[in-house]
Amino acid sequence: MATADPDVVLRTVGLSKRYRRLLAVQDLSLEVRRGRVYGFLGPNGAGKTTTISIILGLIAPSGGHVEMHGLDTRTHLSEALHRTGAILEGQAYYPDLTAYDNLRVWAALSESVTAARIDEVLELVGLRDRARDKMRTYSQGMKQRLLLAGSLLHDPELIVLDEPTNGLDPAGMREFRNLIRELAKTGKTVFVSSHLLGEVEQMCDDVGIVKEGRLLTEESVSALRRRGEALELRVTDVERAVQVLEALDWVAGVTRADGRLVVDAPLERAADLSRALAEQHIYLHELRRREGSLEEFFLEVTGDAPAGA
Amino acid sequence: MLLPAPRILAAELLKVRKRWLPYVLFLVMVIGAAAHIWLLGYANWANENSAFDAFFRNETLRTFVLPHALPALLQSGQFWGSMLVGILTASVVGTEYSWGTARQALLRGQTRSEYLTLKLIGLVMVASVGLLAALGIGILFSLMASALVGEEVGGSISFGAAILMVLRTGYTIIPYGLLAFALTTVSRSTTLGVAGSVIFVVLEAIMIAVLSGIGTAWSETARAFLPSHNVAAILSANRIEGGEFFSLALRGQLLPVSLPDPAVAALVLALYCLVFLAISYAVFQRRDLQ
Ligand SMILES: Nc1ncnc2c1ncn2[C@@H]1O[C@H](COP(=O)(O)OP(=O)(O)OP(=O)(O)O)[C@@H](O)[C@H]1O
Ligand SMILES: [Mg+2]
Repeated sequence: MATADPDVVLRTVGLSKRYRRLLAVQDLSLEVRRGRVYGFLGPNGAGKTTTISIILGLIAPSGGHVEMHGLDTRTHLSEALHRTGAILEGQAYYPDLTAYDNLRVWAALSESVTAARIDEVLELVGLRDRARDKMRTYSQGMKQRLLLAGSLLHDPELIVLDEPTNGLDPAGMREFRNLIRELAKTGKTVFVSSHLLGEVEQMCDDVGIVKEGRLLTEESVSALRRRGEALELRVTDVERAVQVLEALDWVAGVTRADGRLVVDAPLERAADLSRALAEQHIYLHELRRREGSLEEFFLEVTGDAPAGA
Repeated sequence: MLLPAPRILAAELLKVRKRWLPYVLFLVMVIGAAAHIWLLGYANWANENSAFDAFFRNETLRTFVLPHALPALLQSGQFWGSMLVGILTASVVGTEYSWGTARQALLRGQTRSEYLTLKLIGLVMVASVGLLAALGIGILFSLMASALVGEEVGGSISFGAAILMVLRTGYTIIPYGLLAFALTTVSRSTTLGVAGSVIFVVLEAIMIAVLSGIGTAWSETARAFLPSHNVAAILSANRIEGGEFFSLALRGQLLPVSLPDPAVAALVLALYCLVFLAISYAVFQRRDLQ
């Protein structure tokens, strides 16, 4: 049942889930590569939690299947999950137990976890001093950190997180993002859902955008950013400049916007561009690099943009 | 079925140990035992001491003086124990849904049948310890009351026979626990599980009375299938020296002759257990947990 590519830690193949008349997930196929942080980005109700629940074997898909660590979870779910950690949406802890006892209960379910490891993960998320307090007395941020500690107990290769920064304040969010980046540095693979674009942009290497149960696009964050990049210029002769630029093979397109030209080309070609124009005796009034914005792209693909954007 | 590793079982017991409900339920059992020995037994006897004729005197003594107090305690303990074990089961099973923690266990690679089996084993252990401890305290009360009375009632049982009585009674509680288990697993709700199992015990007692009153062949057949009728049959085997049958009339008031054979009754109860287990495992195996 091994997948062809050992570098793919998680793969869904044509996943779908139907709730009566609603298709919460539709033919969703994605691939998460080893050592990457994959952002599963989509608005509320897009099907993120449903997809994650299917991946973790908590709900049965109506169609398709999941491969984790090269194992088909239809037949090897337990084995695959022993190498995976997760934080779910909503409460998933014993409120009347202390944080330490919560971890003890979970640690028992993985053979290799020792008492020392419990202290280690508590240390990692900075909760060692509060470990003897009951979970119900924890703040939202502390709860999330404790749940992260719980997901790391058995030192999993893959960590699946469903909107882990929900309910955190900006400082808490940043702290959490840093923790996740740290994990990625140690070679872990992270699959994290979010409805916050900025968060994904800062935290993730790859992004899959989901809407109404469909995966709209799947790409690396840097490639996505490059997509929105452009060179913006004002020139002495707009008509001829368009002709010259369109003839260059590294220019993907030229559009006019109130007297300016927006050139879809790599930013590092700015010098080449000005030389090409100058050779035809067209001169620049202004040349600006326009940074790519994931937001624009996100709004574009999800179709949530205001008209004309 | 796979037996859980000791550390997993210890964690399951830790969860139950740190709740207050088991202690409250245990306290109720102890209060029940105290009421039985001191109110129903000793106080009754002490109040009407002189006026009693010999038969009633002896009868009252038998409620709280050993060895007769043992089957008597077991009889009432069975009734209350069934309900309390149902409540404990519904709570232990149901809160794992409301807290979302059932998902935590499953996403850590525990299979669904392992999850249910672990719950069952944990519950059997906790309920056994609680019920036996309550029985022990009841016996202690009985010894104290007997010492105050200072009278013999005769009769004796071997240690083995006493153990057998306890085991028989324990067996009759299992279907009620499993009923709560199935109700809660299916409904995912502690409230429904508790309500369902308590209502079932009460409703059953009423139905037994009604069906016995009707007295036709049809009603006797229907009654024969009710768990509590079979429980009464098994408890009727809790007799000292093959002598009289003790009944506090919480279950059927019938004499052993009109009850089913205890072995047949045990089979009927086993059938109930199997059905409840099958429902629980089948439903949980397919259940979406979100
Ligand atoms: N048990 C269920 N029964 C019926 N519909 C459901 C159920 N669970 C989810 N849905 C529906 O499926 C769709 C996807 O829900 P899901 O929770 O996966 O979205 P999400 O992307 O996680 O959203 P959010 O960002 O709000 O958490 C929604 O329309 C939701 O109403
Ligand atoms: Mg969600």
